[in-house]
Amino acid sequence: MRLRTFLANDMREALSNVRAELGAEAVIVSSEKAKGGGVMVRAAVEETTREVLRENMAAFSEWHNAMAAPDYETNYRAGLIHRLRNDRPAEKTAARNFNRAELLQILRTHRAPDALAHALAETAEKAGLSDMTLALASALDKRMASAPLDLTKSVALLLTGPNGAGKSAVAAKIAAHARLCERHVRLIATDITGAGAIARLETFAQHIDVPIVVAESAEELSKAVAECAKENILAVIDTAGFDPRNGKARSAFAALAKIEHVEAIGVVSACGDAEEIADIAASLVSLSARRLIVTGLDISRRLGALAAAAMQNAALAHVTRSPYVAGGLETLTPLSLARALIDASQADRGSAQ
Amino acid sequence: MSFNNNLGKPHLTAIGSGKGGTGKTLIAVSLAHALAHEGERVLLCDADLGLSNTAVHLGLDDCGDLPGFLANECKLQDAIAPVLGGASIRGGFDIIAAPSGCGALANSGEIGAQQLLGKLKAAKNYDRVLLDLGAGVDAGVLRFAASSDDALLVLTPDPASLTDAYAFVKLLQRMTRNRVPQILVNMAVNDAEARRTADALIATCKNFLNSTPDYLGAVPRDPNALDAVRKQAALLTLYPQSAAARAVTAIAQRLHNRLRPGSAPLRIASAR
Repeated sequence: MRLRTFLANDMREALSNVRAELGAEAVIVSSEKAKGGGVMVRAAVEETTREVLRENMAAFSEWHNAMAAPDYETNYRAGLIHRLRNDRPAEKTAARNFNRAELLQILRTHRAPDALAHALAETAEKAGLSDMTLALASALDKRMASAPLDLTKSVALLLTGPNGAGKSAVAAKIAAHARLCERHVRLIATDITGAGAIARLETFAQHIDVPIVVAESAEELSKAVAECAKENILAVIDTAGFDPRNGKARSAFAALAKIEHVEAIGVVSACGDAEEIADIAASLVSLSARRLIVTGLDISRRLGALAAAAMQNAALAHVTRSPYVAGGLETLTPLSLARALIDASQADRGSAQ
Repeated sequence: MSFNNNLGKPHLTAIGSGKGGTGKTLIAVSLAHALAHEGERVLLCDADLGLSNTAVHLGLDDCGDLPGFLANECKLQDAIAPVLGGASIRGGFDIIAAPSGCGALANSGEIGAQQLLGKLKAAKNYDRVLLDLGAGVDAGVLRFAASSDDALLVLTPDPASLTDAYAFVKLLQRMTRNRVPQILVNMAVNDAEARRTADALIATCKNFLNSTPDYLGAVPRDPNALDAVRKQAALLTLYPQSAAARAVTAIAQRLHNRLRPGSAPLRIASAR
C-alpha cells in the first residue's frame, strides 16, 4: 500500500492532486481541516494486490495481444487510453495538416454517424485552420456545450437513461464528489423492481458512507426530495433503466422529472452503436434532460457514440472512464474530444509507417 | 471463581501493531493490570521471543523463565513470576518472559509460536493470557495473532503506523481467512484524532480487503504514561487517575465484559 498525505486549499484541489499522484484507484482514507487553513487528505493505493495479480495480468495481456487486431486496436490502447488513464498532458504528436477527406476517414473509423461526420468535416473546413486537431475542435465547439455539475448548489439530480448505462455508478460518483465538497448527500433509489438494483446502490452507499432511502412512487420521491431541499442535502436519484423512445416509459418517467427541484441528467454509455446512442440521447433531451453524462470511455475504442452524444441539444456535464467510484467525473472540452478522436488515428498511422 | 466459559481453557488475547514503538508493551502491561483489577486471573506473556522487554517496563528482576518453559524444563507454575502479588490476588498478575537481553528464543519463528500457543492454551489456572507480540509481521508474530482467541492491533496517528497496521491486517487475513483484529489507538491527542486514525485504517481495510476491523477504544497521549515507563513502574500503580490509566481501565472493562459467562461471545468479524 502506498500512503500519501496531501495539503491543498480545498477538497477539489486535493482530490486532483491525489488523482495525479496516485491514480484513479486511490482511496481517500482520511480528510480533515489543516491547521493553517485548507484541507489535509490522506490517500492510499494498494499495489501488492497488483503484485498478486501480476501473473494473471501477464496471462491476460498475452491473450489480449493475441486477440487484438494488430494495427488499430493495439495502437489505440497504446496511444489514447493509456494517455487518458494516466491523465498525463498530451504527448506532442506531430502536427497534422487539415485535410477534409482524411478527417472524414478518421470520423468514420470512430463509427460516427455519417451525417454528423460530414457536417463536422464541413464546419472544420470552414474554420480555415491549418491544424487538423484545432479545426476539428472548432467544429465540435460550435455544436457542443460543456456544463459540469455544481455539486455545492444542485438540489436534486435525477439520473436517467437506458439499462446498463451506468446510472448507479454515476450516482455513487456524484455522491462521493459531493461528500468531498463537504456537502451532505442522500442517495434515493427508485428502481424497486430491478433484481438487486437497490442492493447494488446500497453497497455503493455503504462504501462512500452516504445514507440511502427508497422511494417507491412519484409521491414518495417528491416527499424525499422536498425533505432534502429543506435540509440543504443533495439528493441523487437513481432510476430504473428504460428506453426513452418508448411512449409508455416516457410518460412514467415524465412524472418523476416534473417533481419540484429535480434536474434530470441523461446517462448514456459511449460503448455502443453511435446512431443508437444519438437516438437515445436525443430522446432523453426531449424528456427534459438538459445535461448528459457519458460513461464507459475506458471500454470504448471508437468514440463515434461519444461524439454523437456530445452533439445533442444538451450540455455535456461529465464523462467517466473508470469503474471505480474514486475514478470520478471528468469534463470533456471540444479540444480534448478533438484530440482524443485524432490521436487515436495518429497512433494508428504512426505504426503503419 | 473463573470467568471463563471456555471449558477451563484461558482466553488468549494477542496484542500486535506491525510497527514498533506504538506503545504495545505499555498497553499490554497496563491491560494485564487493569484486567486483574476486574478480577481476572491474568498471565502476561512476552511473546516477543527475540527481544523481550516487558519486564523492563515493570522494573522486575525476575520475569519468569520462558525458554525453560518452552523447552519443557519446568512447569508453568515454576516458569512464571508474580507481579504485584501474582494472579491469585485481585489486582496482581503473573508474567512469563525470556530474560531481557537474552535473545535465546530469537528466530523461533512460526514453529516456536505454535509450540508456545499450545502450551499456553493448557494453562488452566488463568482466565486470560495476554500475548505481547513483537513488532513486525513475520510468520511467528502472525501465528500468535491468528491462533489466539482474539487479536488487538495497536495503532498511532503516525502514517507509518497506518501502513504497517494495514499490512498486519492483510497478512493476518491471508493466514486465517476470517480473523480481523480489533483496533486500539494509542497516543492520539484527543478522541477526535483517535477516531480519525481508526477510521483511516477501517476505510483502507474496507476498500482493499473487504473487511471491517472493530474499533475497541483509545488510550490518549499522556506524559504520565511516558513517566511511568521511564520510572519502570506500572502506570496504574503510579498514576491510577491519569487519562491514560483511566482509558486502559475502560478498555479492560470492555474486554472483561465480553468474557463473562452469559455475555455475548467475542465477535470475530468475518472477512467477506
